Amino acid sequence: MAAVSPTTRSRPPLGRCLLRLFTVQGSWNYERMQGVGMGVAEEPLLRDLRGANGGTTYHAALARGAHFFNAHPYLCGLAVGATARAEHDGVPGEQVERLRAALCGPLGSLGDRLVWAGWLPITSGLALIGVAFGLGFPAILGFVIVYNVGHVALRWWALRAGWAYGARVAMALREPVLQRATALSGPAMAFVVGVALPVVVRYLSGGFVGWSRGLLAVAAAGGVALLWWQRARLTGLRFGLALLAVAALAGGLWR
Amino acid sequence: MSIALFRIDDRLIHGQVVVGWGKPLNIGFIVLVDDAVRANPWEQELYRMGVPAEIDVVFATTAEADQQLSAWERDPRVGILVAGDIAALARLAGNGGRVERVNVGGLHHRPGRTERLRYVYLSDAEAAELKALAARGVEVTAQDVPTASPVPLEDFT
Amino acid sequence: MSLDTQLFLLAWGTLVGLDLVSVPQMMIARPLVAGPIAGAILGDVPIGLELGVLFELFQLDILPMGATRYPEYGPATVAAVSVAHAAGNVAAGLGLGALVGLITAMVGGLTLHAIRVLNARAVHRATAALEAGDASVLARLHVTAIGRDAARAAFVTAVGLGLASVTREYLGGTLPPRGVTFLNVAAVGAALAAGTAGTLRLVGRGPGFRWFAAGVISGVVVAWLR
Repeated sequence: MAAVSPTTRSRPPLGRCLLRLFTVQGSWNYERMQGVGMGVAEEPLLRDLRGANGGTTYHAALARGAHFFNAHPYLCGLAVGATARAEHDGVPGEQVERLRAALCGPLGSLGDRLVWAGWLPITSGLALIGVAFGLGFPAILGFVIVYNVGHVALRWWALRAGWAYGARVAMALREPVLQRATALSGPAMAFVVGVALPVVVRYLSGGFVGWSRGLLAVAAAGGVALLWWQRARLTGLRFGLALLAVAALAGGLWR
Repeated sequence: MSIALFRIDDRLIHGQVVVGWGKPLNIGFIVLVDDAVRANPWEQELYRMGVPAEIDVVFATTAEADQQLSAWERDPRVGILVAGDIAALARLAGNGGRVERVNVGGLHHRPGRTERLRYVYLSDAEAAELKALAARGVEVTAQDVPTASPVPLEDFT
Repeated sequence: MSLDTQLFLLAWGTLVGLDLVSVPQMMIARPLVAGPIAGAILGDVPIGLELGVLFELFQLDILPMGATRYPEYGPATVAAVSVAHAAGNVAAGLGLGALVGLITAMVGGLTLHAIRVLNARAVHRATAALEAGDASVLARLHVTAIGRDAARAAFVTAVGLGLASVTREYLGGTLPPRGVTFLNVAAVGAALAAGTAGTLRLVGRGPGFRWFAAGVISGVVVAWLR
């Protein structure tokens, strides 16, 4: 297989690749999950392989790039960069497949902890507190800006790190900032959302008086217990619909 | 109890395992049973990166897991054992009694497999392996995360 | 409500629905963002904020991992704001908004699943071309799927807005005051339960729980002092 050294080539189209990564889940499906989107995102980085071996290197790499994949969407760039780089380094196809497969789990778990269970609820919790304290629209704007500074930075770092390290991508994940951020995100999320909940209760129940506050406490506490113990059967949505149905019935009967 | 969840998942350790199951079960260790990963230091490093520092990750071949299982069961911490294929868990289950329940968490599309559930794709041979496991008295259900309802084996094989 | 306003709401709901999974995941799909902007379209930001906060709590119940199925609260919040605004004020519209929003969220979740099945079929049919590394087939599959999701998001928003106008028509003003209060209490109680249970699942029983407890105590003190 012809290896193309990245140092001798013109600059890789990482910007175009990043733009496509913003759509990485656009064709999410149960068969390949993010696979098709991953292939689409990797394609610009593979284009300079089109000349090698009459195009077979390019087509084989692209086919691998679109195979089953699933990880946290913001960290997909790490796998895209790493596999594209490995393809340029002439790493055998089966090893590239192995690398992609091995990245799914770790990038999923790291991203879920860092973003879905960290950065997102932290910033959303701060915005909830802001709205409850009457900051209004600026709190929402602040959330969108601050959240996305982190979001875009993470996507960009992931793609560049993947491309820089190739098959040795585990080294990129040793990045101390990333490790520290992941370790801190859990406690920070727990604390911020913990503060937000009572503050938000006060905000939402401002118009409630007397008996309705007592009823609210019972409904909320009972709901938490039910949702915790019946977690495989009951979702927040079903509980909400059931409670609203009961309320509508009670309100209709007891005039 | 020590190993609270025996899981078959070809993505091995990912968010559903660490956050989805790990948090509510308050786990202290994860056993990853996979011969290829056990033989490959960089893959082990990758999987360790995805797991919080306070949770131990133990890598084992199927043979090692077979020997170590009773030791892990005596561990005072709660653990999850995850394997990438059915054969590994079939071996651990032995002739019954050692593994009460097996959770099919995710087996994804591959040539030769057909869709059974949105996160379970099986070949006919694999479906038969799961049935054989159940015939030995193991309760086999599919459930990706704790907030989904478990699907009994007969509904997906 | 004018046709222009309805069309703006439809466009906003579509963007919001597209953002959730497909493009670009910048979290305008969060109810906390979808609600206030819908409120601004209707010239009623406070009600958008209130419904946004309510549904943000429901959203905390969701972890979008792997092939899990979940409801979609973005377009649902847009529809909820629309019905709550028509009710005139928060006290009259919170519960009705929650009702419309939760039903729309359920519809959204069903369509998300359906689109993933449709995408899987399209991908399966294209297996040969994909295995041959055909870049144009790959791009076509991807772009078509994004178009499909945009149509889906528009459909869900339209269903939500339709439901909102039916609710306005038949339920608005017919409920006795006590019934309205019951609905409001149920809406806030369920949202609070969903948000708390969802957070507890993320926090777990380990060291995170102590941080959560410390947060709740601080929050109670802060809320009390205000």
